[in-house]
Amino acid sequence: MIEKFWNKLTGSQLCKSIFRHGYEDTTRNRALQVRSNVFLHLHPVSVPEHAFKIRFTWCMGGITFFLFLVEAFTGVFLMFYYHPIPEFAYHDMKYLEFDIPFGIILRNIHRWAAHLMVFTIILHMLRVFLTGSYKPPREFNWVVGVVLIVLTFLLSFTGYLLPWDQLSYWAITVATNMMGAAPFIGHEGPFSVVNKYNDIRFVVLGSTEIGTNALLRFYVMHIIVLPAAAIIFMAVHFWRIRKDGGISGPL
Amino acid sequence: MERSKSKKHFVWPDLAFKEFLTIIALTIILIIWGLLMNAPLREMAAPERSENPSKAPWYFAGLQELLVYFDPWIAGVMIPVIIAAGLIIIPYIDTNPNGRGSYTFSLRRFAVINFLFGFLLWWGLIFIGYFLRGPNWQLYLPWESWGTVKETENYLWSLSPAIGLVCIAVYFGAGILLPPLMSIDLYLLYGSLRYVIVMTLILLMYAVPLKIFLRLAFNIKYVLVTSWFNL
Amino acid sequence: MTEHSLNSNVTRRGFLRIIGWGSFFVTLGILIGGTMRFLFPRVLFERPSTFKAGFPHEFDRKDRADENGVFEVYEKWKDEHSACLVREKNRIYAVHVKCTHLGCTPNWFADDRIFKCPCHGSQFHSNGVNFAGPAPRPLDRFGISIADDGMIVVDKSRVYTSKDFDKRGAYLNV
Repeated sequence: MIEKFWNKLTGSQLCKSIFRHGYEDTTRNRALQVRSNVFLHLHPVSVPEHAFKIRFTWCMGGITFFLFLVEAFTGVFLMFYYHPIPEFAYHDMKYLEFDIPFGIILRNIHRWAAHLMVFTIILHMLRVFLTGSYKPPREFNWVVGVVLIVLTFLLSFTGYLLPWDQLSYWAITVATNMMGAAPFIGHEGPFSVVNKYNDIRFVVLGSTEIGTNALLRFYVMHIIVLPAAAIIFMAVHFWRIRKDGGISGPL
Repeated sequence: MERSKSKKHFVWPDLAFKEFLTIIALTIILIIWGLLMNAPLREMAAPERSENPSKAPWYFAGLQELLVYFDPWIAGVMIPVIIAAGLIIIPYIDTNPNGRGSYTFSLRRFAVINFLFGFLLWWGLIFIGYFLRGPNWQLYLPWESWGTVKETENYLWSLSPAIGLVCIAVYFGAGILLPPLMSIDLYLLYGSLRYVIVMTLILLMYAVPLKIFLRLAFNIKYVLVTSWFNL
Repeated sequence: MTEHSLNSNVTRRGFLRIIGWGSFFVTLGILIGGTMRFLFPRVLFERPSTFKAGFPHEFDRKDRADENGVFEVYEKWKDEHSACLVREKNRIYAVHVKCTHLGCTPNWFADDRIFKCPCHGSQFHSNGVNFAGPAPRPLDRFGISIADDGMIVVDKSRVYTSKDFDKRGAYLNV
């Protein structure tokens, strides 16, 4: 009875138009499953045996990508309630915590997944180094990977100010004052060629102090500029894995 | 070639299913973590009242720890830039063709040891900065209460400019010139330009713990004092 | 360049290529420059830079000076304007209570007569001169003057670093 219904469902025109291929365990079908699916198509049809072994890949790149998706997902939901204005931002955190159904879980997951993502991307880099997977022809993909690490750090850094509590305010104070001490482009650094109204710190804060403009700039960087950049670099990263000889392994 | 030896497997369904399981496991972990632990939230930001201590998030605590030993423009700007640039050029300076795509320690000892040194240094600094620093950024062991008052640090002194310059020149000169003189074949492996870049980056990396050692052992604040910047 | 060499070296195609790519890169440069300029606002909506701190007699000297010649450190305006008014024997100045290391707000410990920075442990005497920790120079001072109504006016837009402490405007004779 159930089997009959299942067969009817999977045999229907609608289902076939969406999925194309069933579960038949034939070589051709297994290849087509991956070939014809835009998401699975990140993978090749077949991969070498060692790619299945967690002790070889540590699975850290994939996990980092998944955590990025988690961040995007939870982040969009947080945006429904968050106002990037100093008078509101902190109270929105309290609002999320005490009034909004599941708000606190959403915020917690966003925060912890961000920490985890920094951790896993560092481990991913370590694995790639230890397996010598940056060697020709994969040099450029390593460069893209380093850019992605920097973007991950910047995403974490910009997100850190958004709750507008003492922790974030002073962490960002210290960090942006370090920028102000940069050589040449910081107004307090050695060989400075700028003043406090046109140095690197001013661009980042949109002002000479951490206030409304700074919060808005960090917010815009956090929700659109840096994620967009990360997505572009990730696309290149994944594409180049395939084009540079597939998942790391002897070539 | 090695390539022909390795057997290939279909991604569907084996690998796809493994990934599916990983995603489910991670989702469960994140939900439980999110239920059990709240993300940190202190009082509302107050510009006139600094947190004590004001800590960076853990992944930057290593850089913040370096602020004790280096001026802000070095700890906060130069070191991160050099790390990022150094990482980026790794594939272009490491011309050793061995160990491509496999765990091979014996054929790339030099690269692996130096990378791991930097990696562990980074984590060590994070550990000290995040777990061992208390009020006024003073050293508190995990079992010490932050209430206990610590005496202020010792008097610090700096080397005179001439001696400092000589020390730095000797450090880098010896570091770059000695290995080829002692007929270590690094130089031949890399070629002259790559060799100098590699050794400069590595010497810069070892200079960080060296400076920390000088500070802790001899109370040296700056190795080189100039009227524009201090190292 | 003479007219002759122009005629002989640059073909029409080459000339158009230079014009074409030239205008492309000039436009690109202007766009990038404009985007950069966009990030620097002309007007900032920050708190007004001057405030009236009270009449000079409100900052009378107390009975005894400490070893730095400071009679009293007035914390009244610290929370609102991050400034402490410091009274010496016959002058008053406004110390900007912002650590010269990385911008944290030092706390004033009246008993020890020390400003201590909570972030990286810099310490300053009651007159703002640094003596411990990573701070590279003494606490800055704000411009200070007397308004027409006889009240002390502190101008936070005028900042004096330690080499300018003896300049006019960095202190008030009383």
